[in-house]
Amino acid sequence: MALPPLPPPRLVRQLRTMLRIRRFEEALIDLAGSHDVGHFHVYVGQEATGVPALDLLEPGDVSYTSHRNHGHLIARGVDPAAMLAEILGRATGTNRGKGGTLHLASATHGFPTTSSSVGGLIPIAVGSAFAFRELGTGRVSAALFGDGALEEGAWHESANIAALRRLPVVFLVENNSLEALGQKANEYPSSTLAAPRLADLARPFGIPVAVVDGTDAGGVHAAMSEAIERARSLEGPSFIEAQTVRWPGSRPLWPQLVTGPTDLAMAWDPSRIGDEHRAWHERQDGVLRFAREILAAGAASTDEMLAFDREARDEMAAAVRFALDSPYPEPEEALRDVFA
Amino acid sequence: MAGVPAAVHDRPGGPPGSEPLALYARMWLIRAFEEKVSELYAKGAIKGLLHLGIGQEGVAVGAASALRPDDVVFGTHRSHSHALAKGADPVRLLAEIAGRATGYGGGRGGSMHIAVPEVGFVTATGVVGGNIPLALGAAYASVVLGVDRLALAFFGDGAGQTGAFHESLNIASLWRLPVVFVCENNGYAEFTPLSTHTTVERLATHAATYGIPAETVDGNDVLAVRDAVAAAAEAARGGGPRFVEALTYRLRGHYEGDPAKYRELSELAEWRAKDPLTAFRVRLEADGVLEPGGATATAIEAAARERIDAAAQESLAGPTPTPPDVVRHVYAP
Amino acid sequence: MAQTRYIDAIRGALEDEMTADPAVCLLGEDITLGGPFGATTGLVQRFGEWRVRNTPISEATVVGLAIGAATVGLRPVVEVMFLDFITLAMDQLVNHAAKLRYMTAGALEVPLTIRAQFGATGGFGAQHSQSLEAWFAHVPGLRVLAPSTPADAYAGLRAAIRSDDPVLYLEHRGLYWQRGERDDSAADNPWRARVRRSGTDTAILAWSRMVPAALEAAERLATDGLNVEVVDLRSLSPLDLETIVASARRTRRVAVVHEAVTTGGLGAEVAAAISEAAWHELAAPVARIGAPFAPPPAGPELEAAFVPSVERIVAAVRDLVDRGVAASFAPGA
Repeated sequence: MALPPLPPPRLVRQLRTMLRIRRFEEALIDLAGSHDVGHFHVYVGQEATGVPALDLLEPGDVSYTSHRNHGHLIARGVDPAAMLAEILGRATGTNRGKGGTLHLASATHGFPTTSSSVGGLIPIAVGSAFAFRELGTGRVSAALFGDGALEEGAWHESANIAALRRLPVVFLVENNSLEALGQKANEYPSSTLAAPRLADLARPFGIPVAVVDGTDAGGVHAAMSEAIERARSLEGPSFIEAQTVRWPGSRPLWPQLVTGPTDLAMAWDPSRIGDEHRAWHERQDGVLRFAREILAAGAASTDEMLAFDREARDEMAAAVRFALDSPYPEPEEALRDVFA
Repeated sequence: MAGVPAAVHDRPGGPPGSEPLALYARMWLIRAFEEKVSELYAKGAIKGLLHLGIGQEGVAVGAASALRPDDVVFGTHRSHSHALAKGADPVRLLAEIAGRATGYGGGRGGSMHIAVPEVGFVTATGVVGGNIPLALGAAYASVVLGVDRLALAFFGDGAGQTGAFHESLNIASLWRLPVVFVCENNGYAEFTPLSTHTTVERLATHAATYGIPAETVDGNDVLAVRDAVAAAAEAARGGGPRFVEALTYRLRGHYEGDPAKYRELSELAEWRAKDPLTAFRVRLEADGVLEPGGATATAIEAAARERIDAAAQESLAGPTPTPPDVVRHVYAP
Repeated sequence: MAQTRYIDAIRGALEDEMTADPAVCLLGEDITLGGPFGATTGLVQRFGEWRVRNTPISEATVVGLAIGAATVGLRPVVEVMFLDFITLAMDQLVNHAAKLRYMTAGALEVPLTIRAQFGATGGFGAQHSQSLEAWFAHVPGLRVLAPSTPADAYAGLRAAIRSDDPVLYLEHRGLYWQRGERDDSAADNPWRARVRRSGTDTAILAWSRMVPAALEAAERLATDGLNVEVVDLRSLSPLDLETIVASARRTRRVAVVHEAVTTGGLGAEVAAAISEAAWHELAAPVARIGAPFAPPPAGPELEAAFVPSVERIVAAVRDLVDRGVAASFAPGA
């Protein structure tokens, strides 16, 4: 249980990013209650993985993500307002309304694409790494996916090639299926993968693995920086499994705020934590955990944190308004960008 | 048999045809068949794309001999030997390879798409790894239908890099399917040595990832293969999948006509010296099953060649399909 | 007659088939939980977890497994969650399922059904919304059905499962909640087209979700005194050319409507077939109304512009009637 060994201002920036992600997802869930937003997936509960990990990437490094992408994009600086506009299909969206939540992309922030077919991004991420190696750019490709993608054959083919050619790719697997429905005690971690440990899927290829608690920002940071270093020195790929408990609100088919809007003060005032979802608020919510650690390290005060949180909520409220006020694209837009 | 430890050769209660001389004869049948196919191809009497199993007879015969007649087998692009080992008729097999209407597929399937379901060789396939999920399906069917019928998938080392291989190991293990995976690891995937395809040169490693018990054996020792597959088959009937990796070598190119310049001649020579037929004969002579001086061995080889010569004559005399045959058997009648 | 929803008709067909035939099994992702739309809700409780089997996300191997199971006596029904993901199983479906009967001259058959939902609804975006039926109607050995009503959803799925050929059964998720009469006693061949609205002035040929759109277009045109025929093709492979050509001859003007992109869509095949059979009876070229040549966009307005609308259908018919032109076709339109 430790913070990443970084200067306090940078840690504070990570906290602010986590809060911004959290408030973005909550604003989206709220919006979905009154508007037809379509289906989407939220990153609630995984912020303490994505933020410290992606903070280690540099401009020019690429990251490929999947359907649970909002947190990843915000972590690398994509404008939440443009993201929300895209989710609502507006012309001001990151993809001019043509991609939707499942295909959010921002090349300038290192997200060439989001792929929504499970596992589909993995060979592409390996491909970028292949190019980086050939071109000698020193860049890294990060593949961000979940435990489900490991069931796809594409994972196996990609891991084989990445290991064979020592490609500069980091496989960051966010396993949010701890305590998954259907899992039996002492049996497979998920009901759909026969390997006792997800990391066992990478080891046979000689790919170094790390398994970390996805709410432990320090652990995530350590694993990721080692992996990136290995990649940049062209030693080859790495596999990081970051484990979290799935946020209860992500269990229903449509996300719901079952644990209530995040109450940041729960990080320092335990009396605010009720019995319902106690485990979540006390231990499993990575944002609250990070906040507690920030406080303990004296990197920010409770007042400052509340101020950051207010700013985050204000920012996301403005993003919602921006998105709702934005025009839809003209019909002709549907025919642009099919070909060069 | 006096002087021969029973455990060495015989499998008490083993399937019929699993006795040593029967195995030897079957291996010769396959060798004679494949050499005949090669000869006919070189003469232009057979056309198409052929992949011969010369040098890998130990795996085909060893594995098939450990199965029951109603167990089912799924093969690869290099499956003449698998089909013959399971009991296919050389006449109809050769007729199919030669495109005759009397072939197993009426000339439509050709060398890579042999199907002899009546002897439990369900089908071969030309897509690397494509047969592995099929074998899983047959095993799944056994469970659903409540029949004690095993499925076996042959595949090469090249299939180990395919996504379907990974998915199949996973599902077979998850569902504890009665399937035996038999990898013919001959070190080459088409023209490429395995080491340039993957860092994992022993495919049994992948079986371990999914908790599937695996054994690696000398594929050119037909008895070792037989015993390994027999043990695997017994365990897989109700105990979940098993994996046997048989190390072997193909003595011809990837396909007929392949000059195989990607191989060192010294490597070829090294493996020729380990020819499974020769090795087995030497073993049987040493154990007194075959007499030294080789009269019986010679007779077995001669009988095989004679049978194949006759088969070739009969097959090639068969009728060729006609244009209307092109559109038959596309759909159910 | 009972009123039922399209999705309930699907579940009913599965249930009735599984009751009648113990060889029918379901495989797919999350199907024990009903799948994303509830098509299989409750079935695992009735038939157990071997006949209703959840699979990992491994489309290639799951389809292959189903094929292998079909070759040895099961009648599997695979649910592919979104038609777009059938692309992961293309080798198994196209190279194996479609061809095993042919290559083996009928020794093997693959009585497999693949259910997949499709359609551009809900702004799911380019990888969750494609209409790909033309690809599969182009593969000899596969059958393709695309019902538009609950009654046809029921009858069609039962027919697909009964068929000894591999069938791709396409459900439009935009139709899942539509209600309709389910008359199981109607003697109707699901492999034939069905005239939904008799007419004399123009025929609109459509399938799946475009059938209700075509019917609405016909209603609007009726207020202008036009008597428009609407034919629901239902079976895309085989195409019911007899009904199609009869309709073309009777009305002399034809518009084909599909949600798939116009270019290379099945409308082209229908148009060519009609022109070959009835050229001299036509008063105008066959018009095709489909999506523009672009991936399905995610934004709601763009998606609405992408899917052929009732307005476009009406305009196309007007062009045929008033000007004798198929003006609906334009590059990129």
